[in-house]
Amino acid sequence: MKELRQILRKEFTHIFRDRITLFLVLAIPIMLVLLFGFTISTDIHHATISVLDLANDSQSKTLVENITASGYFEVVSYPKSESEIDHDFKDKNIKLAIIIPNNFEEQLTTDKFVTIQIISDVSDMNVASILNNYVKAILHDFTDEYNGTATVPIELCTQMMYNPEANSVYMFVPGIITLIMIIVTALMSSITLAREVETGTMRMLLIAPVKKAWVVVGKVIPYMILSFISTITIIVISVVVFQMPIKGSVWLLLLVCVIFMLTSAAFGTAISSLVKTQIDAMMITMMGLFLPTALLSGFLFPIDNMPYFFQILANVFPGKWFIIAIKDVMLKGSGFMDIWLYMLILFLMAAVLMTLSLIRLDKRR
Amino acid sequence: MAAITAQNIKKSYGHIHALKGVSFDVREGEVFGVVGPDGAGKSTLFNILTTLLLPDSGTATVLEHDLLRDYLEIRKNIGYLPGTFSLYPDLSVEENLIFFATMYKSSIPDNMPLIKPIWEQLLPFKKRPAGKLSGGMKQKLALCCALIHKPTLLFLDEPTTGVDPVSRKEFWEILGTIKKQGISVVVSTPYMDEATLCDRIALLQEGEFIRMDSPKAIVNDFQGELVSLRTTDIFKLLKLMNDCPLTCTFYPYGENLHVIFYEPMETVLPPFEAFLQKNDISYDKLTQITPTIEDCFIEIVRTKN
Repeated sequence: MKELRQILRKEFTHIFRDRITLFLVLAIPIMLVLLFGFTISTDIHHATISVLDLANDSQSKTLVENITASGYFEVVSYPKSESEIDHDFKDKNIKLAIIIPNNFEEQLTTDKFVTIQIISDVSDMNVASILNNYVKAILHDFTDEYNGTATVPIELCTQMMYNPEANSVYMFVPGIITLIMIIVTALMSSITLAREVETGTMRMLLIAPVKKAWVVVGKVIPYMILSFISTITIIVISVVVFQMPIKGSVWLLLLVCVIFMLTSAAFGTAISSLVKTQIDAMMITMMGLFLPTALLSGFLFPIDNMPYFFQILANVFPGKWFIIAIKDVMLKGSGFMDIWLYMLILFLMAAVLMTLSLIRLDKRR
Repeated sequence: MAAITAQNIKKSYGHIHALKGVSFDVREGEVFGVVGPDGAGKSTLFNILTTLLLPDSGTATVLEHDLLRDYLEIRKNIGYLPGTFSLYPDLSVEENLIFFATMYKSSIPDNMPLIKPIWEQLLPFKKRPAGKLSGGMKQKLALCCALIHKPTLLFLDEPTTGVDPVSRKEFWEILGTIKKQGISVVVSTPYMDEATLCDRIALLQEGEFIRMDSPKAIVNDFQGELVSLRTTDIFKLLKLMNDCPLTCTFYPYGENLHVIFYEPMETVLPPFEAFLQKNDISYDKLTQITPTIEDCFIEIVRTKN
């Protein structure tokens, strides 16, 4: 145990003497979560639009009011004709134009059927489709209100569960936690172990009568602690600043994080056991673990939309399982019995990789 | 009892045969020098004997433990100073020593008598990061770390390479005191002058021991007559020597030219001096000298080829 303590102390000394790395490791998570939360948000508020109200009757006015009141749109112009709309797109940079037809109220009452035209700026496809959906939702509510409860036409009712406002912070936070844990635990562990090999200190440790498991564990634990601090920081920011809910147990959430930390550390150790230099360790961790995790974990792109091959490949990277597990705990309020399988998968990955790398480390080449 | 017995150790890296079958004994308590140029296989041999690398074939016992089977026992009892600086550059002198002491289940106070002569020299720098020490100080610290668990056998892989002459001398003085403690030392060096400080040396050339004996015996076995001459224009002389009618070996040695003749001095010297005068070579001194290890090494390599 004395050896393990000494290795831990040494590793912390390395960390605290390398101020820049320490700062980056602690500051990057905060920067990332704020960046994703505030700027790289897919929620749109106050999108500029034009409304061409050809009817100008009481119902059309109510509809326009509903649109303005939603908070998603800001009507910057009321053009008089369709040709003016074209100018609005160019001059006023509107994202969307809505054209309410003549005799809006009349058609609504007699035909029970009205066509409203939406013209979108699709140069940014994501924005256009989100705004379209907003308009559809508002129109949906509007017709509901108008029809009242008396008439019950067949209608499609989509209820958004777990993230009713489709708040993108809820999607990003699990992804950021995953990436940060991979950077701080997997990347830093693989680099710090590769550094011992590169500087030759590893061979001094190998011929010393100290347990090899302690060498690895002692070097990895400090980065797990750093990573845990970062994770808690991210969670606190997302709850306090972005009102992200934690519907499930906080302890279960932390347990999942700790297990994923072990998995990341095991991946880092395994990578370091294959390489001889820090730069190789960094490249392999970034290209072989970080990027696939970002792309295949379901954080940026839905796994269900991927080609079959990539859907299978995604299972190999721990990020997928972790993201499912923490989303379930935070947003659905799932309990241990709902997510034990994901935790088991992560734990088994950690156990197998750690064992293999220890065997490889202890073997003479 | 032998500290090391090695039989026919071979190691290849792909097509490169780093060791082509090396056999030798190291006696207990002696300083055994492995002398050879860069790339001769010194570090490979050290890595095998310190249990870091597996040989392709061959057997060895180190401190009476089998190299392949009982390598964990060997590790407990050997000290190793690798050929490249292998301490933590961002940790201070003291932190490095404490760290390695703990890794070897030892402590500084326990071993103070052994490391005292070196530790005293390091003391003024004990708070300095190891990476900021001079070359000589780095090696003294590395030696300190290698000695911290009272090994009975010490492996020093080129401990004085890149170290200034004064520190080199100090380092060898320290080795003298270590030897007095009964510790066997295997040391490699590319410097021939250091070879004479060993009890026995092995000359390693392209993965083979071409000669193994005490430095004195190697010098005594030198076949031939060695003369040294100093001239102002060594390049001209070197070029000219190719036309020398006498059977001889010649090579520059520092500022001088060394020539080995294979006949008695009385018969070769007059025609040689005549040859030099005829070609208008002015030289200060032409003296017969006793060969150094380097002269012997050059001659042994030459006769072998």
